[in-house]
Amino acid sequence: MDAPEKKDWLLDERLLQSQKLAAIGELSAGIAHEINNPLAIIRQEAEWMQLLLKKLGGRDHKELEELQGSVHQIVQQVDRCTEITRNLLDFARKRDPVIQAVEVNRIIENMTMLVEKEAKHKNITIVRHYDETLPMIYSDAPQLRQVILNFLTNATHAIGKDGVVTITTRLSHDDAVDIVISDTGCGIPADHLSKIFDPFFTTKPPGQGTGLGLSICHGIILRLGGRITVDSQLGQGTEFTITLPRSRESELFAHA
Amino acid sequence: MEKFKILVVDDEQDFLETILKRLKARKIEVTGMESGYKALEFVDTHDVDVIILDVKMPGMDGIETLREIKKKKPLAEVIMLTGHASVESGIQGMQLGAFDYVMKPVALDELLEKVRQAYDRKVIQEGKA
Repeated sequence: MDAPEKKDWLLDERLLQSQKLAAIGELSAGIAHEINNPLAIIRQEAEWMQLLLKKLGGRDHKELEELQGSVHQIVQQVDRCTEITRNLLDFARKRDPVIQAVEVNRIIENMTMLVEKEAKHKNITIVRHYDETLPMIYSDAPQLRQVILNFLTNATHAIGKDGVVTITTRLSHDDAVDIVISDTGCGIPADHLSKIFDPFFTTKPPGQGTGLGLSICHGIILRLGGRITVDSQLGQGTEFTITLPRSRESELFAHA
Repeated sequence: MEKFKILVVDDEQDFLETILKRLKARKIEVTGMESGYKALEFVDTHDVDVIILDVKMPGMDGIETLREIKKKKPLAEVIMLTGHASVESGIQGMQLGAFDYVMKPVALDELLEKVRQAYDRKVIQEGKA
């Protein structure tokens, strides 16, 4: 589906992307660490205030109640910040791949089963087109699981209700395997396509998505020597193709 | 006899007792703990290769336990067990470095196969370190 001239542009773009990711990862981990300490102090002080306010309680002051409400709110918002810094630290922590023989179809099927129940409630059908003759590949199983799960969830989110997610596995031409995950969802606007792998890029309402999912997946696949391509039609759906090398020595891109 | 040591963490006593019995019947070195806190205490003082961890537990839940285990023993491999499809915690668990995510009920042979793969991974990583 993609035009041949797109390839070179993609290569540069990918290099830039991985450098950008590394820089942002380091920066955000640093900030997250620094912010965690003051957050802990704020929380502790707020909890202390809660205790004191409780002792003052029973005097039936409207102001006292309001104070309790405010302090409660402070604690809750601190927890929200903690969740964000945690996510940042998880994001920044790169794990070196551990290479083992991996059955791609089986990993996908396991993760699909996890998603399928929830999908059924929303009338989303998952269609499998596995190439049963697919050879084992050498890759990192848990990291692949994380990626597959993320893409499957994104696909169901893009659909919302009533639609089809199709998963295809096949042998790719250059000693690699393709995992294709396509959905009949909302699609991605053309001007968003170049940003979807950026950390913190999200179209979800505040508090509902960290915008880290795809950038984490992108980083994982690059470290596994693979690549991700995307094809999307607004209003019709999106197709992601994850290409992974079969053996541990080969990398689809030298710089990855 | 298998070479690895397993820890199973689940608050459901019935499940825990049965799985321990079945694993021991296969001559596998296995211990059971009924909470995240106890599991953390256990890994402080004992060697464990693969930890089978229930996601939903009262008190410290599976995700929190996983996070703490990975801080204490980054090389221990963790297989998450879940009673129902909880996709969000699935992603979170994998992101925190769980080896696999398995839905209950799971056939013992299948679980053991996953444990073997997880153990292989641990051996590879220890070789690297």
